[in-house]
Amino acid sequence: MAGLALRVEYLAGFCCPLGGLAAGKPRVLCHGAEIFLSTGSELVYVYDREGRLLTAVYKFPGQVWHLELQALGRALYVLCARSGIYCLSLDQAGRSMSQDGGSDRDDRDSEDGQVGEPPAPVIAVDPDACVLPDATLCAFVVLDNVLVTLAQGPSQWKMQLFECPCPGEDPRPGGQIGEVELSTCTPPSGGLGAPAAPHFLPVLCCASPPGPRVPRGHLQGPGAVTLEEALFGLLFGADASLLESPVILCGLPDGQLCCVVLKTLVTSRSAPGDPKALVKILHHLEEPVIFIGALRTEPLAEDTEDAHSDCLVALGHHGRTLAIKASWDELGHLVPELREYGVPGPVLCAACGEGGRLYHSTPSGLCVVGLAQGGGPWDPTQPSGAPGGLPSLLCPASLSVCSVVTLSVSSRAPEGGTELLALSAGGRLMTCSLDSHSEAPRPSRVSVVNAGRKIKELLSGIGTVSERVSSLKKAVDQRNKALTCLNEAMNVSCALLSSREGPRPISCSVTTAWSRLQLRDVLTATCLLENSSSFSLDRGWALCIQVLGSARALDLDSAGSAVTYTIPLDRLGPGGRREVTLPLGPGEDGSLDLPVTVSCALFYSLREVVGGALAPADRLKEPSSEEWPPGVLPEQDGVCLPLSEHAVDLLQCLRFPALAPSPLQAPGRPGPAGDPIHTFLETCRGPGSQLAGPESLRAKYLPPSVATVRVSAELLRVALGDSQAGVSLCPATLQWLLAENSTCDIVRTQALSSVQGVAPDGTDVHLIIREVSVTDLCPEGALQAVEIQLESASLANMCRAHHAVVGRLQRLVVQQAARDSSPPDLRLQYLHQIQANHETLLREVQTLRDRLCAEDEAGSRAPAQRLLQVYKQLRSPSLLLL
Amino acid sequence: MAHKTSGLSSCLDLWREKNDQLVRQTKVAQNLSLSLRRQQLVQDVLEGLRGLLHSLQGLPAAVSVLPLELTVICNFITLRASLAQGFTEDLATDIQRGLERVLETQEQQEAKLEHGLRGLWDSVLHVSSLLPELLPALHHLAGLQAALWLSTDRLGDLTLLLQTLNGSQSRASEEPLLLLKTWRPLAEESDGPLTLQDARSLRGVLLTAFAYRQGLRELITGSLPRALSSLHEAASGLCPWPVLVQVYTALATCLRKMGKPQRAMLYLVEAVKGESTWGPPLLEASRLYQQLGNTAAEIESLELLVEALSITHIPEAPQLLIEVEFLLPRPDPASPLHCGTQSQAKYLLASRCLQTRRAEDAAEHYLDLLALLLDGSEPKFSPPPCPPGPCVPEVFLEATAALIQAGRAQDALTVCEELLNRTSSLLPKRPRLWEDARKGTKESPHCSPWISAIYLLQGQAWVQLGARKEAVSEFSRCLELLFQATPKDKEPGPASSCEHGCTSDVVLQQLRAAALISRGLEWVASGQDNKALQDFLLSVQVCPGNQDASFHLLQTLRRLDRRDEATAFWQRLEAQTELPQEKATRSLPLYLETYLDWIRPPDRETLLEEFRTSLLKTCEL
Repeated sequence: MAGLALRVEYLAGFCCPLGGLAAGKPRVLCHGAEIFLSTGSELVYVYDREGRLLTAVYKFPGQVWHLELQALGRALYVLCARSGIYCLSLDQAGRSMSQDGGSDRDDRDSEDGQVGEPPAPVIAVDPDACVLPDATLCAFVVLDNVLVTLAQGPSQWKMQLFECPCPGEDPRPGGQIGEVELSTCTPPSGGLGAPAAPHFLPVLCCASPPGPRVPRGHLQGPGAVTLEEALFGLLFGADASLLESPVILCGLPDGQLCCVVLKTLVTSRSAPGDPKALVKILHHLEEPVIFIGALRTEPLAEDTEDAHSDCLVALGHHGRTLAIKASWDELGHLVPELREYGVPGPVLCAACGEGGRLYHSTPSGLCVVGLAQGGGPWDPTQPSGAPGGLPSLLCPASLSVCSVVTLSVSSRAPEGGTELLALSAGGRLMTCSLDSHSEAPRPSRVSVVNAGRKIKELLSGIGTVSERVSSLKKAVDQRNKALTCLNEAMNVSCALLSSREGPRPISCSVTTAWSRLQLRDVLTATCLLENSSSFSLDRGWALCIQVLGSARALDLDSAGSAVTYTIPLDRLGPGGRREVTLPLGPGEDGSLDLPVTVSCALFYSLREVVGGALAPADRLKEPSSEEWPPGVLPEQDGVCLPLSEHAVDLLQCLRFPALAPSPLQAPGRPGPAGDPIHTFLETCRGPGSQLAGPESLRAKYLPPSVATVRVSAELLRVALGDSQAGVSLCPATLQWLLAENSTCDIVRTQALSSVQGVAPDGTDVHLIIREVSVTDLCPEGALQAVEIQLESASLANMCRAHHAVVGRLQRLVVQQAARDSSPPDLRLQYLHQIQANHETLLREVQTLRDRLCAEDEAGSRAPAQRLLQVYKQLRSPSLLLL
Repeated sequence: MAHKTSGLSSCLDLWREKNDQLVRQTKVAQNLSLSLRRQQLVQDVLEGLRGLLHSLQGLPAAVSVLPLELTVICNFITLRASLAQGFTEDLATDIQRGLERVLETQEQQEAKLEHGLRGLWDSVLHVSSLLPELLPALHHLAGLQAALWLSTDRLGDLTLLLQTLNGSQSRASEEPLLLLKTWRPLAEESDGPLTLQDARSLRGVLLTAFAYRQGLRELITGSLPRALSSLHEAASGLCPWPVLVQVYTALATCLRKMGKPQRAMLYLVEAVKGESTWGPPLLEASRLYQQLGNTAAEIESLELLVEALSITHIPEAPQLLIEVEFLLPRPDPASPLHCGTQSQAKYLLASRCLQTRRAEDAAEHYLDLLALLLDGSEPKFSPPPCPPGPCVPEVFLEATAALIQAGRAQDALTVCEELLNRTSSLLPKRPRLWEDARKGTKESPHCSPWISAIYLLQGQAWVQLGARKEAVSEFSRCLELLFQATPKDKEPGPASSCEHGCTSDVVLQQLRAAALISRGLEWVASGQDNKALQDFLLSVQVCPGNQDASFHLLQTLRRLDRRDEATAFWQRLEAQTELPQEKATRSLPLYLETYLDWIRPPDRETLLEEFRTSLLKTCEL
């Protein structure tokens, strides 16, 4: 950095949207003392450097994407998104200002709150100023008398050549003199959707050979460069050199760098150019091209004055940099010297300056690299090793100016230095003066003027530093916050995973209830998440509840349907509770695939918490869709902590309308019960009448399916002893079975030993509990047992109830076994016999099922009947649970 | 329920009204001239149609709404295609969406989706037999699908679609043109929603475009009688004038190739009667005259062609309909109807003049062409004739050759000077070259033949001016470059568009021979026969097939009175001439061909005759 003197001067501030300006679309141009600037909005500002004031503001019908200046014709060309190219006369600016001063004030006030300049008039641009209406234009460049445009077709980029329409003239429709299609492009959106704004615009640059056509000192915009003859001929061929034709270089968002010799771009609609003959692909950067430019790397010979560029450079979004020079090998051949470098990306904008320097801006700062001989950007006098060679490595040097979204090299460069015009993401326009061979500041006599300037410079410097500090601080804050979040997440995970036994610090319990939603009865599950730990669940945590229905019994192949609900927990402090209620069913068809498993888990999304810190600073958000560098985090990465699993079975879903205290409030049957007329008719029919559905018919005329389970009374008494004291065994068993049913209070109060409930699909389920004595099992005499009988007209419901009862008993037995109670003596002979019986039955089941699978539908009726019978026998109460 | 139906129908009326209003708005825009306002209006209509389609497709598909929905899709596609001036693949998704909506009403969306659009059409047309009210709109959509497939050259799909549309009775026919002719699109009801273009007019457009495309294809592949009948079919249809001109020109080309120049001429006369687009018929006329051997008329039609192409054709605002032009193949430089640009025509004219020995005219035309290409002050660009023509340096060389031929050696030297100036940076650096030559480097820099040819022509110009010394030095320079050039290694070096065509060994050989002969002739003229003999001998060695070199050698041997060698050489030559003469100037650039004509010995036959008699005499003696 030795020898570098950077002076930053703020000129003005412009309004910018929340979050700062995005790179890609803002432009800044300098012409004499006038600066033309667009920030990507609809406005184009004209700023006078000398008077340090805003002289005019033009308002266009759409976003402004590009500005070009034609100095000779004193015209400003403006590309307006989805509208076309407008042409403004520079001389007009002053005139219109005096005429239209003060118009559109409201507009300005609302949009331009930030501008610290004296208010300038906002001039709405007349639609007649549109010289080239075309909604698909994405880029353009102006030459002396032609306009080259790049339009996005449905499948291809199209380069078109027009005669330059002059400002004020009528747009001539016949002005097109050439057209060629470039490589394919992916359409912005397919089908009906309106085309979205492209993230990256293509870049155009016009390269001319040196010649009489390009007078020296002629003002060239950033889109035009003059290349040395040798490089020009090497890149574009002898034909282009012979014709002395300008060449349009085009950098596409897909990374392609191609060129078209302007004079070969054919006329006439009947013969559009043949892309194979006209378009030459120079290179492929494989990332969106951000900038194309040229610079002079070799010192000028003494006798020549023309400083034509001898090196073509192109920059990609991720920092890939291409440099091409012409050189002669030892045999005298002209050979291209082509090098690719990588500079830190993402590159927001770039510019080429004097002395072989390439300036490029990234979110973290403005950098400069030297392509001049010897590589050292600050030391052009250093003797070079290989004459004419490009440096093998680029060393970016930071200029400590951050968040510049557009750059332009000012035409008013001081002798031996470079002046850059830059627009920061915060909407500030500034000049950065770089003096390459400044000596160490010598103490000189301080005059008043000097002191004033010095102070101003210092203030500017402070401004730059403060902007940089604020952006860095923001990044640090974000990272700190992410780290804190991660730490808390670690604590929570440890607490949950280490407490395998005993109450967990964070628990989730599930209860079910029937409720009436939208004129239909729906079984709902209520999950209650309790945070009894000392940590709080913050942003990033979510409660995931998976509801998994069981597979239908008759449909062996289908897996149960699973639905996962994710509920973000915004903030759940220590001791906090969150209740979530979900519908379980029945669905539209009235079915509910019991048992339903409800599993709860906590999920911590790394993407949500860490993502922000890994992404580039917010306000300099890249225009790309990807929010952080690929490969850092996979798509759905996070931490999943299972909390609980709860099975909802038939017993929990039974309703007992017959027991309801008032018959008027009996819950309606599910199904299309919403119709008031239907309800009315149903009421008219009276409580005694039956529904005419197939289920009820079956209930009426078929014997109900029955299953019984026998449990040793001793076992039950011990198990229920503590909770059901003072109640006789049968009602206690019933209460125990229905403990998780929300409507079981009635059962409890009435101390019933049999109950008739309604299953979710509307069929009745009968539960009868009675005490029996089993004589032949135990040698010591009769054993007292409890028989649980299940009856239902619907076989499916009977099975579900049986499954639920057996499940509860199993858990009970396992608990008892853990308590190590000794069973009474049994007659083993009898047990063996029962086991043998069951085994034969099971074998029969197996063969029957095999047959069922093998045979077709017609022949399967008989085995199916038999199978049902066998299942019935298997469920018959021959075995007693002890 | 009754309430619902009335709600739907009132909505339907509303949507229909919206569609009709948008169509009327398009008709208004149609009458505006090409301007921002027209563009905005059309863009508004397009957005309106898009929005309408969104609201229609946001609801479940219903048979009562589908005719309107399909009509809106047709209008949307028509407008998009006419704005894009052609059909693009993304329009297929709009069609597909419409077809899926039809199937949705029949609850068989998944049917045949694996066959793509074609399978979809099969299922839809199968279903639509149950839904007769959908048929008119479906036929319209099928017309658009046919246009899309026609423009993307998917003729198999197109044929199958037409077969299905025509019903099963015509399934036997495989000829798409016949199928298209027999297809009767069902008319939309007169009180139905408005359309931008009805199915019948779309069918007419399809018929003409298809016939023309097929005719052109057959013309290129050479099945002329079939091409003739297809093109007649295209000409009999309704089509705009520029297309008709192209059809007539293609007919003339076809007839010319069939050997019927008079009938071809009749079509060309008909074609140039129009107001614009004279290019293709004039070019065809010049070919016709060339075939007939009428050079004066050929040159005249080429001159007219140049003039015709200098008029900038201002295109009219395109119709907001599907037009025949959209469905034509992309203009291809290889097509017989491609007439190129003004400078390409000018080049054709100039080179024909040079080939037919009209040197003065050729020189003038070449100079005009160079002015056209190089004058930067001209506001209008005119592209160079490359490719398929020669590259720009070769145009310069041909111009030089024409000037020398016309006796304007000084001008020729100026043109060469200009060429060297403009390409100086691309030439190998001289000082190094000399150094390397002295050091005797084995490898030599690559150098395009046209660079050596500059020196060759410069030498010839000096010859014409009588400056022998300069001429010899130019020839030597040329030879030096030529013998350094190794044609095998292509790269590196400044590539030009002519690199692929004429760096062949043949060109290099002929160039070397030409330079050696030219220098030899200069030695002869200055009386240094021994040096001449050396050059001639060398030229025979580098290019054994070149008979001119042999004759010059023979003559010199005779002049030096080296009888035995001359006799031996003559016998070899005699043996060679008895062999079938291979055409040496097969693929030589025009400047080289012209050049070889200059150094051809004028009296080959007499020389051979003299030799024969003198040898016989010696034998008799």
